[in-house]
Amino acid sequence: MDNALVAEDLSRSYGDTTALDGVSLAVVRGEVFALIGPNGAGKTTLVRALTGTTTPDSGTVSVFGSPPDAVDENRIALLPQAFSPPERLTGRELLEYYAGLYDHSRPVEDVLSEIGMAADAEGWYETLSGGQQRRICVGSALVNDPDLLFLDEPTTGIDPAGRRDLRDLIADLADGGTTVFLTTHDMAEAEALADRVGLLADGRLVEVGSPEALVADHGGESRLVVETDAGTDAFADSGYRVSATSRTLTIHGIRPEKIGEAVAALERAGIEYESLSWTQPSLEDVYLELAGERGAEEPVLAGGAR
Amino acid sequence: MSSLSRTRAEFEAAWHSFIRRRTAVFFTFFFPVILIVIFGALVTTDPTGGGLFTEPSEYYLAGYLAVVVLFTPISRVGSTVARHREGNRFEKLATTPLRRTEWLLAHTLVNAVLVGIASAILIAVLWALTDATFTLSPLLVPFVLIGSAVFCGIGAILGRVADSQDGVIAAANTIALPMLFLAETFVPPDLLPGWMGPVIDLLPLTYFSRGVREVTVAGGPWTTDLAILSGLALAFFLTGAYALPETD
Repeated sequence: MDNALVAEDLSRSYGDTTALDGVSLAVVRGEVFALIGPNGAGKTTLVRALTGTTTPDSGTVSVFGSPPDAVDENRIALLPQAFSPPERLTGRELLEYYAGLYDHSRPVEDVLSEIGMAADAEGWYETLSGGQQRRICVGSALVNDPDLLFLDEPTTGIDPAGRRDLRDLIADLADGGTTVFLTTHDMAEAEALADRVGLLADGRLVEVGSPEALVADHGGESRLVVETDAGTDAFADSGYRVSATSRTLTIHGIRPEKIGEAVAALERAGIEYESLSWTQPSLEDVYLELAGERGAEEPVLAGGAR
Repeated sequence: MSSLSRTRAEFEAAWHSFIRRRTAVFFTFFFPVILIVIFGALVTTDPTGGGLFTEPSEYYLAGYLAVVVLFTPISRVGSTVARHREGNRFEKLATTPLRRTEWLLAHTLVNAVLVGIASAILIAVLWALTDATFTLSPLLVPFVLIGSAVFCGIGAILGRVADSQDGVIAAANTIALPMLFLAETFVPPDLLPGWMGPVIDLLPLTYFSRGVREVTVAGGPWTTDLAILSGLALAFFLTGAYALPETD
């Protein structure tokens, strides 16, 4: 395997707080690697260690075979978390500014088109909407056509259409051979984009794998969630495994073709319900399971049909 | 892309960012006008020889210039560094080919232009509103530019040390105000205690005010002052560039 990025046994502490605790990973060239994890898990510190903008207490990083501070900056790009560029430059000027810092850059017009800002490029950054601002920030990381792109929560603050556009853009970059390392809280984004996903919790890389493998190993079962205040008694002899909270009844391990039978059982038992929804296990379930954030109550799933 | 191109890109971004802040532009250039009107024209000398500003009007040219050479760069670069930190801009720039010396050079050039314009306004107003007689020496240009570089470097250091824009402004005032009055600008050294002599000699602004006074009024030797100021500019510039943060 030809690795773009290798980290071995990275540790980093800030005072008594351990941000990274022995993190090792490798990202293959052309791969999209998504890092997920709760707030404070160490995601941004890991990005900083990988880009050389912070020095780990121990461990090594190799970017294209070189330490981060020796790598050719023209080959990499970073969109930092909570990044805010000079606010009284227009979108076009900002991209021209960042393009001017590299030896070779792409035509700014092309980047503006890719990020969907060609028509709104003349407004000052501070006058743009939050989503437009984030698009310009993403564009600033694309001007040098990087081989390795670090995106620290790139879609934060972007509306659903903008998210979709940026996902398409990242997918296109990956198709073109760009290695992408992104952090996100959006599990759907990670699942849709990433070849592999790493879960960071308390500074440790808990699990790494393809979204499908992670879901299969840690996602749990499909389930039918019924919004009702009925208990589990009515289903005691149904053969289903059922759990209940004060607001929901969850039928576990139910395949889609059995949903009709479950609904019939609800009606036979005289259970009134507001809605019901069936879900397959997802990366969010993996996240909740591995990050230890699954609550005592089952979540009420959205999108139910009466 | 050469170092020159990167510096130019940073300069243009910094310049446009500044000139679009109308309030900042207005007060940057209006400040010297207020200064001369109040201290050069309104405050008069007691005919018996007492009071403020007892030296001839031209004596204070170095002090007026020192105000803009000192305050504009130290506060602007300091707050720019703080603003960059708050927006994680240095983290982004650290992953580009732009070097920290190039960043600081670009911002030093922006400030040198601003200070140069403000100085020209100041000299014109002083000439128009007072009876000051002085030589308009071309040597003012290197003194103003190099003096700006000194305080850009100090501003960068303050931006690193202080944790916010408010902190930078407070720190800049704390450093700049005493320096302004101790560095042979408005207060002649013989009015200060003798033991302050070594302190005065340690202040970078002293060599600016001494040199400017020599080239505009006294006509004495100025090379030592310019040489010391240049050495200090190099030292503070490099220290300031090294102090620029990348992330945390």
